[in-house]
Amino acid sequence: MKGKPARIIGLTAILSIVLGGAIGWAADVQGVSDTEIRIGAWAPQTGPAAPWGAVSRGTDVYFKMINAEGGIHGRKIKFLSFDDQYNPAKTKAGVKEIVEGPGVFAFVAGTGTACGLAVRDYLVDHGVIWIALPNGWAVKGDKHFFFLYPEYPDEAAILVKYAVEKMGKKKIAFFYQNDDYGKGGLKGAREELKKHNMKFAVEIPCEAQDRDLKSQAIKLKMAKPDAVIMWVNPLSAIIMRKTAAALKVETQWIAPSTLADTPFMNKVTDGLWEGTVYSCIAELAESGNPLVKKYKAAFDKYAPKSERWSFLYLAGIGFAEPLVEALKRVGRDVTTEKVIAELDKMKNFKGIFGHITFSPEDRQGQKEVFIAEALKGGKSKQLTGWIKR
Amino acid sequence: MFLQVVIGGIAVGSAYALMALAMVIIYKTSEVLNFAQGDMAMLSAYVTFMMLSGYGLPFPVAFPLTMLFAIILGMSCEFLFLRRAKEPTVLGMIIMTLSLEMIIFGLVSWKWGSDQRTLPFPISSYDAYTVGDLIISKLELVTFVTALLMMLMLFLFFRYTKVGIAVKATQLNKDAARLMGIRTNRILMGTWGLASVVGATAALLIAPASTLDPYMMWDPLLKGFSSAVLGGMTSLPGAAIGGYIVGIVENLFGTYVSIEFKSVVAFALIVIILCIKPSGLLARHYVKKV
Repeated sequence: MKGKPARIIGLTAILSIVLGGAIGWAADVQGVSDTEIRIGAWAPQTGPAAPWGAVSRGTDVYFKMINAEGGIHGRKIKFLSFDDQYNPAKTKAGVKEIVEGPGVFAFVAGTGTACGLAVRDYLVDHGVIWIALPNGWAVKGDKHFFFLYPEYPDEAAILVKYAVEKMGKKKIAFFYQNDDYGKGGLKGAREELKKHNMKFAVEIPCEAQDRDLKSQAIKLKMAKPDAVIMWVNPLSAIIMRKTAAALKVETQWIAPSTLADTPFMNKVTDGLWEGTVYSCIAELAESGNPLVKKYKAAFDKYAPKSERWSFLYLAGIGFAEPLVEALKRVGRDVTTEKVIAELDKMKNFKGIFGHITFSPEDRQGQKEVFIAEALKGGKSKQLTGWIKR
Repeated sequence: MFLQVVIGGIAVGSAYALMALAMVIIYKTSEVLNFAQGDMAMLSAYVTFMMLSGYGLPFPVAFPLTMLFAIILGMSCEFLFLRRAKEPTVLGMIIMTLSLEMIIFGLVSWKWGSDQRTLPFPISSYDAYTVGDLIISKLELVTFVTALLMMLMLFLFFRYTKVGIAVKATQLNKDAARLMGIRTNRILMGTWGLASVVGATAALLIAPASTLDPYMMWDPLLKGFSSAVLGGMTSLPGAAIGGYIVGIVENLFGTYVSIEFKSVVAFALIVIILCIKPSGLLARHYVKKV
């Protein structure tokens, strides 16, 4: 009888150590508990870039679908997304708040290059995984970062090659935003054009906030190009198309994937968008792809009725797919290192984006796009399969 | 192409001129720079959008209703905000207009969201007349004619109507005007209403060429302000001429010199003009006794 309490105490101590250790592996990983994995995102839901907030709302729908299917190895995903109004100062404050508050295992997407750059070092210091929306062209890499958006120079080169080789264009103009985004496109486009012993008929910059693009449109008219590649934001593209139409500039318009929300572009340009040839990083929102259909059903179920099923929604899902896949492959024993290792092993993963391959040496996962054409009524037709530079 | 560039400059200059006139009308009576002018105009454009798209009203009905709304909006801004300030300084009033601008911006973003929209304007922005090598869009022509009509109406109003003369009297000497029986507070409120109508007209002409969104008037407001400073903050003809100068110089510079610096040329122009003539091109330089 004398030794019984001692045995009980001993057993309790051993159990405490064992259970404590078991609970500890979850509690020690930031943003992971026994029942949930917290994933964060920033996106503008108000402010100048509010339409891009749909990316984060797409991710939200995807996680709701995953949770409804039972979560990942018994854990539900808790999505902590906040509105940064496309303001880097607010991105920084918001990221700090959720990393140091509830804790976050990883960030998905994160709209805005400047916003991403504002928190880049912070994420490195805190060892948080980031499946980044800004591409590796704009943000310096780190062992915690994975890039999905094809680099702008590569995407531009693909478009130029298509315009020259498939469309037979001989006199191409380049209309670009005078910042890193526009200059990234210009760089790749120039390189590709040089391979064909060609030069741009004219290179025309604009500022993102310009509301009067008459000088730019007149310069285009003077150059008489048979194709114009645009590397601008949606607003500049809309104004340019209207201004050029008024000046009777007749040419083939070519656009990057950042302008791939065809129904929207068609509506705000009063149908002028029809005939635009553009690149896509994700399957078309109206395509018959089984995954797209599955996500559309989730959208119908979980998104508010006022929302519009679009390329941006799909993109939000596409950015989250590799992380969810890696978490599934890791199993229940989730750690940052294991998920990074699993992502690095990902070869030719195919969700709704192009084929994704990561390695410790090359974190630019997606390098391919396909070409599509905007049709009447905001519809699109896929013209090619997935193409790499 | 030179003429084409000039025509483009005149068209965009017409919109700048209207914004400049709206700012000068208020500045002349109260010495307040109304930085809410752009967003007041933007709100009026959204009200037009709501009437056209939401309620399906035809444009000939929606337009006068919008103008009525613009008058009420302008007068309310003065009556409910500016007049409430106790012993206001000019700087304090300017800060109040900035607050007003943020309130209107927030209100529009909340009600209609930040998505770019199309204002269903009766004239297409890309239907155009061709005269020889020149192409003039119908919208540019309408903008130019509307701006001229607006200027003519303002001229007739200030020159020949009793209220217009009362406004001028208030501008010249508020205390003396009050002693002569002019209700200067009402005149002040009326000028805000009038400026709001001029601004709303500019917004209705700008939106079809670009998009309807909460940011649509930021650039035109800056350019309108530059035009007003260039022409002289107290001169209505100066503000109008300033608008045309900014529009034409901007387009010529962008086409023939440097497109990268097109956006800043208006501000460079102001610096040059103000160094030569500090009161602006057409305003009289006056010294105030203190």
